[in-house]
Amino acid sequence: MNRSDRKITVEDLLRIKRAERPPPEFWSRFESEIRAKQLAAIVVRRPWWDGASRVFAVVYRNRLPFGATAALALAWAGVHYEGGLSLTGHAVPVGTAGPTAAARAPVPRVQVASASVLLSAKVEIGAPDRAPPPQALVVSNASHLTKAPVASQTESASRTPFVDGIEIALVDFRATGPDLAKGGVFGSDREFEASVASVHQPAAEPLTQMDPAGERLERLLAPALPTYSSSGARAFASDRLKQKASYDRMYESMDRYGAGGMSLEFRF
Amino acid sequence: MNASKAIEKTLVASPERKLEADADLAVVRRVQAGDVAAFDRLIGKYRERVLGIIYNMTSNREDAADLAQDAFIKAFQSIHRFQGQSSFFTWLYRIAVNSTLSHLRKNRLRSFSSLESIGEDDPVSRELVDALTDKTGAGREAFVRELQEKLNDAMLKLSINHRTVVTLFEIDGLSHQEIAEVMDCSVGTVRSRLHYAKQLLQAELQPYLRR
Repeated sequence: MNRSDRKITVEDLLRIKRAERPPPEFWSRFESEIRAKQLAAIVVRRPWWDGASRVFAVVYRNRLPFGATAALALAWAGVHYEGGLSLTGHAVPVGTAGPTAAARAPVPRVQVASASVLLSAKVEIGAPDRAPPPQALVVSNASHLTKAPVASQTESASRTPFVDGIEIALVDFRATGPDLAKGGVFGSDREFEASVASVHQPAAEPLTQMDPAGERLERLLAPALPTYSSSGARAFASDRLKQKASYDRMYESMDRYGAGGMSLEFRF
Repeated sequence: MNASKAIEKTLVASPERKLEADADLAVVRRVQAGDVAAFDRLIGKYRERVLGIIYNMTSNREDAADLAQDAFIKAFQSIHRFQGQSSFFTWLYRIAVNSTLSHLRKNRLRSFSSLESIGEDDPVSRELVDALTDKTGAGREAFVRELQEKLNDAMLKLSINHRTVVTLFEIDGLSHQEIAEVMDCSVGTVRSRLHYAKQLLQAELQPYLRR
């Protein structure tokens, strides 16, 4: 072809670009690279927060079972903790060590501030070789700052900061609260027995505790009869009243009496 | 309107595209079902077309290769979101074009071109080279290489929009209307941009033009 006869435009030149082709070996490299990228895309490593967010998502999705399990675990831990102290306190009876050991270890229970300390005292009594010094059990209510270390000495291995915290709170309460509350709520076992005994006493008949009828009537009518200075006149009025009103009627009509100052009025 | 949507409309219109889209959709369903190896068929089928689009927009074969791979990986990663409402090729084309435009906007100041060799089996390009030079052997290859560099330099002097218009119209063969839909502009704007781009190219390639 004669090169001078051919008309060449920009469009013709741009068509050359269509013919630009990569060499055949390019495609093998292209395929290997794209396969590596494809594998990297499949097994992409997730960031740590993605795993954490998935854990939170699982927890959130099963929040009810997780919450119930946590509550049960806490309850079990609390019960187990309480039971451990109780078993420790009652595991060794007082009398197992024999009378001589019991005699060597006097029972210091008078000034004990809390039940846990008393339990530990029982343990110490049961084990005569490890009998604590008496001053360690005489715990004062004055300050928990001096009592807490003493308690931790008596209960060596089983004591925890949680126990100390409870005891401190109890001592604070006993130090600041009224005596009735101390004895009734957080008192020692002897105080508790006393309070329980008072509660379990048979209820007395209220009428039996009342004064005899004559004395009661005299006591009630004494302010109303100021003019009768002699005992004879007072006895006469009392007899008249006894005749007019029976005990039951008088007992039922007690609200009909109006007490005004030192006088007693009768309204018939 | 999104440029990729316009491309999708243009390419799915023909019946051949419809059949091709149905065949691709079957393969895509297999990939979505877990047959990862089936995606290799899609890569082998469309790799040259995707690479050609990106290469003519970037004039850099390394960038074009990376962008084409990224386009395929993006398509693979989000193939579970492909619903089949458009053809797979237009979906892949949209990913490739958007990635290329983003890459070109990020690397405006970088103008490094690396060219592919011109295939001698293409009769149109061989005839054109024959019309441009009487040289043979090494001289012919050097002339063709120089012409390629001049073409790419001229393309790189165009703005991104003008380069895209020229690429889509002169190299990919889209119509003015299709380009207008692709670039989300009017047909007049496309013609104006194309006219302006050709003027610039004519000024740059004046030694090779013959009237």
